[in-house]
Amino acid sequence: MIWQIIKKQGLILLRNPRQLLLLVGLPIILIAILGTALAGMMDDDTTPAIHVKVGILEHEDEEAQTDRFLEKLEDKGLPEEAMEEIQANREQMTPIQMLKKSVFGSGELKEMVELREVKSAEKEAVMSDDSYDALLEVPENFTYDALAFMFLDEPSQPMLHLFQNEGSDIGFSVVKDVVQQFQEQLTLNTFIGKEGIDSSVIKIDKDAFAGETIPFNQQEPVSAQGYYAIGMVVMNVLFIASTIGSMAFLEKKMYVFDRIILANVSRWIYFAGILISTSLFAFLQLMLIYGFSWLVYGVQWPHLLPFIAVSLAYAIAVGSIGVLLTALSFRINTEAILSLFSIIIVSLLAFIGGSFYPVGDSSAFLQRLGDLTPNGAAMSAYLAVLRGDGISAISHHLYFLVIFAFVAILIAAMSFPKRGLTT
Amino acid sequence: MLELVDLSKKYKQFYAVKNLNMFIEKGEIVGLLGPNGAGKSTAISMLSSLVEPTEGDVRFNNKSVIKKPAPLRKVIGMVPQEVALYDDLTAEENLHFFGRIYRLTGAQLKQRVNEVLEIIGLTDRRKDIVKKFSGGMKRRLNIGAALLHEPEVIIMDEPTVGIDPQSRNYILETVKRLNKEKGMTVLYTSHYMEEVEFLCDRIYIMDKGDLIASGTKDEIKRILSAEKTISIQADRLNDSFISKLKQHPTINRVIAEEKEITIMVAKEINMFSTLIKIAEDAGIELNSVDIKTPTLEDVFLHLTGRALRD
Ligand SMILES: Nc1ncnc2c1ncn2[C@@H]1O[C@H](COP(=O)(O)OP(=O)(O)OP(=O)(O)O)[C@@H](O)[C@H]1O
Ligand SMILES: [Mg+2]
Repeated sequence: MIWQIIKKQGLILLRNPRQLLLLVGLPIILIAILGTALAGMMDDDTTPAIHVKVGILEHEDEEAQTDRFLEKLEDKGLPEEAMEEIQANREQMTPIQMLKKSVFGSGELKEMVELREVKSAEKEAVMSDDSYDALLEVPENFTYDALAFMFLDEPSQPMLHLFQNEGSDIGFSVVKDVVQQFQEQLTLNTFIGKEGIDSSVIKIDKDAFAGETIPFNQQEPVSAQGYYAIGMVVMNVLFIASTIGSMAFLEKKMYVFDRIILANVSRWIYFAGILISTSLFAFLQLMLIYGFSWLVYGVQWPHLLPFIAVSLAYAIAVGSIGVLLTALSFRINTEAILSLFSIIIVSLLAFIGGSFYPVGDSSAFLQRLGDLTPNGAAMSAYLAVLRGDGISAISHHLYFLVIFAFVAILIAAMSFPKRGLTT
Repeated sequence: MLELVDLSKKYKQFYAVKNLNMFIEKGEIVGLLGPNGAGKSTAISMLSSLVEPTEGDVRFNNKSVIKKPAPLRKVIGMVPQEVALYDDLTAEENLHFFGRIYRLTGAQLKQRVNEVLEIIGLTDRRKDIVKKFSGGMKRRLNIGAALLHEPEVIIMDEPTVGIDPQSRNYILETVKRLNKEKGMTVLYTSHYMEEVEFLCDRIYIMDKGDLIASGTKDEIKRILSAEKTISIQADRLNDSFISKLKQHPTINRVIAEEKEITIMVAKEINMFSTLIKIAEDAGIELNSVDIKTPTLEDVFLHLTGRALRD
């Protein structure tokens, strides 16, 4: 019975080429237009061409620290050749130097991060200077302690101190990531060190933190076409909810709904028919437009499973909107709610959700607000998936969509009127 | 078989139907007659379980169906006043869908769709989209959609409004045939006297939510047995003539139209010479004076003082 309702709904949709064009054709055209026209603007916003200014305050003399460590090794009575080899690799026993040159001073980080040496006396001034994103403080004896921790099994690992400037958000997180990676790298080398002091192992693996593990490099950047494919799809799929709602209201207005009720079909069957058909058509619409974007605009999904998961969750959320609109229009017996939705609410949701431009990038509040709309949550999830994230990284969006759908269905069920005609 | 007991429907402070009592026996064609807004549709919506009555009861085989409408719904076919079809589907697809919701399947469904298309005379248009149908064809399909599950009772709400005489006759003949050949019970709603006179065994007449008359055709017409209706035609009627008629003690009722005046008088009175005299006094020349056999229209006129159709 439910299947009959879905089938009939689909047949009617197919008989309305204009409607289909609006649902599928229009977003495809919009993706092309926005994707090309706004490509420049987009690049500024999403590629990490951010400028990060970091002050570095060293409370030690690294050269002296290294010397001191080498002396200590000699005291321990290391064999002559081993000593020589270590001496030859001395440059690799200056971790701070490496952090400055090989890490911050190479690849993309070099373009992004501006490193400034800071004196002790300037600390206060730098901390309150908004042009700095972060201040990195190297404590006294850091190098010696680090080397001792690594090679001599000394128990305590020295830590670098990183201070965040309150105004900085993304900039700071980049620096924090890098410093964390670096710190972990030092720890990792401990284990190598424990095997005994073999100079061939002493080498700090530069490649390990020369970029690969830094989040910004790892993630695939999102192209303007990719961004707008998602933006337009999540917006346009909302229209299927009002389209099905309008079809349902027409059924009521034309007394076809009465016929269905008189055939002893439970109104809950009808209700389920609306929910499932909206969800199903939403899913098909998603696949169709994404399929097209993949073939023509090259918007390709790195992982299929999370992509399907977001699509399913979003389709169900849209289905719940469809059945909610239907129930409300039946209850108040007017189409006004459907027009209000398709003309005003969709645009509003699309804007907040970031379909037109990445609203959330400018403020964390707007980002959070956007993620509280079904389309915004779906958009954030899709963007993450497009950048290469897996299901666990987007699970909070999926939960939100499912809970949203549940609540909407509940409200719809409660407001769905009991009898066919107005009573 | 079907019974309405003191049935009322109130919208806010206004009664669309008030204290309606009706019954329909198996195999009958019953007419429900009344002008616009009389409450016909409201009454049959309550009868068919679509609208919950404010007061009263609907009984099917002596059981109330207001709380448990399922047994009633199984045996009735409802033809709504509006064309309730999917415009974008073909005649056949529409029938197929409505057959499916009545749980018909497979060969049986196919057979019923074919039979119904035959009954309503749309077999050769089965593949056409309803949107492209004429008004009369839509009306016929509207009836067909209520016939798929072979209902025992068919309730028709003004099934012939706004269509050409040919389609109208076709529908009337179909209703009669369904009743004769299949023994289908029919409740036929209309504001056309002729249709109801042609089709129905018994008739209920409603006005402004009230039942104003009921019975067989003859019983109802007997309401007028004490009176006769005279129709007077003249080219130029004037107010003086009309007011003189109205003031005349033996004339019960005067309904004036542009070129025709209908009056009602007691059966035994001979009005002919009186009318000629009044016309002379008013200075007009009469074209004709006819004594009419009463119609249901006259009954309505008699009961309400208004014509059935405005
Ligand atoms: N849902 C409603 N809410 C308020 N008033 C209503 C409603 N439905 C019907 N009415 C009123 O009840 C009265 C009877 O309406 P109904 O449709 O039953 O008349 P009808 O005899 O079928 O007229 P018609 O010949 O025009 O179809 C009308 O005055 C109408 O305005
Ligand atoms: Mg009506």
